[in-house]
Amino acid sequence: MTYISHSVSETEALGEQLGRRLRSGDVVAYLGGLGMGKTAFTRGLARGMGCQDRVTSPTFTIVNEYRGELPLFHFDMYRIPDSDALFDIGWEDYLDRRGVCAVEWSENVADAMPAGTVYVTIRRHGENDNWREITVEGGDAL
Amino acid sequence: MKILALETSAKSVSAAVTEDGTVLASAYQNTGLTHSRTLMPLVDATLKNSGISLEKIGLVAVAAGPGSFTGLRIGVSAAKGLAWTLGLPCCAVSTLVAMAQNVRHMDATVVCAMDARRNQIYNAVFAAHGGTLERLTPDRAIGLGELAAELKNDEKVKIIVGDGAKLCYTYLRETGIPCSMAPAALVMQCAVGVALAAGEMAARGETVSARDLAPNYLRLSQAERERLARGLKITVD
Repeated sequence: MTYISHSVSETEALGEQLGRRLRSGDVVAYLGGLGMGKTAFTRGLARGMGCQDRVTSPTFTIVNEYRGELPLFHFDMYRIPDSDALFDIGWEDYLDRRGVCAVEWSENVADAMPAGTVYVTIRRHGENDNWREITVEGGDAL
Repeated sequence: MKILALETSAKSVSAAVTEDGTVLASAYQNTGLTHSRTLMPLVDATLKNSGISLEKIGLVAVAAGPGSFTGLRIGVSAAKGLAWTLGLPCCAVSTLVAMAQNVRHMDATVVCAMDARRNQIYNAVFAAHGGTLERLTPDRAIGLGELAAELKNDEKVKIIVGDGAKLCYTYLRETGIPCSMAPAALVMQCAVGVALAAGEMAARGETVSARDLAPNYLRLSQAERERLARGLKITVD
């Protein structure tokens, strides 16, 4: 399914819609470059899941954990060179924690994304630099 | 010599104190709570309740792997910290050797199994006989299919232990390999097994300093994982 977002708040709202549908153990993998609004989308995702903690970019921390009935683990793989390096951040333990994992820069670790991953691709819209084309696909249960 | 042992390799957490092969105290819980929250209160309560001060401990043992990345780091860090302050020697016990202690009284092939995801287990196989354990394989990561092929011609009674016992048991039974799971009281790895195994290691001089104590993850590369998941071997015959 592809949506057009005209603003950051619309991007957040789309994230919130997806967040409401996520279940324990789901993985959301983002595709798309810098400044596309992945963190904004994740802010909506967290809201949709009922997480109260403030969502910030995990670029430097690699992972942020947001508490909630269904916790959200927000990764940025920008500095993770490949899937082998995932071991050093305890990636597999996060998969076992019954929350949702949202993964920015999932391209770097594409071969480690589990079956059933929901892929969210965010691209700049052809007509307006501030618009975004957001495609949500995968995720057998959704 | 009193041994304090910690076990945090998978979802459960436990602590135990043994002295010359006798269990003096042990605490175990398997409630899904984070080890970083539960381990030290468990150690503290076990020592306080049994009136054993840390100064009476002669060796700190820990299940050093294989196991969960986070779990092993918590257990090894705690063991390191406790041993460091008192200058105590440490034992890095194989989690698989520790769980094999549970059924060493059997006359059987002991199959140790920890869930390593994607139809793979961390595994070692031992021959239990006359109260002793003879190692038949190294600690390794192996696909369930490959393990089944190995065990197919083993005529002995096979008993499975560890947090991956159910996964392994189900697979082997489906493959037509007769085996049984250790009963609930014996199936899970725990600190008692770590302490007992450490006693034997210490007698052989297999101790390390707190500084040199390190986890043993049996880390697999992504390429190895994918081969295992496809049922292929990762070793050359």
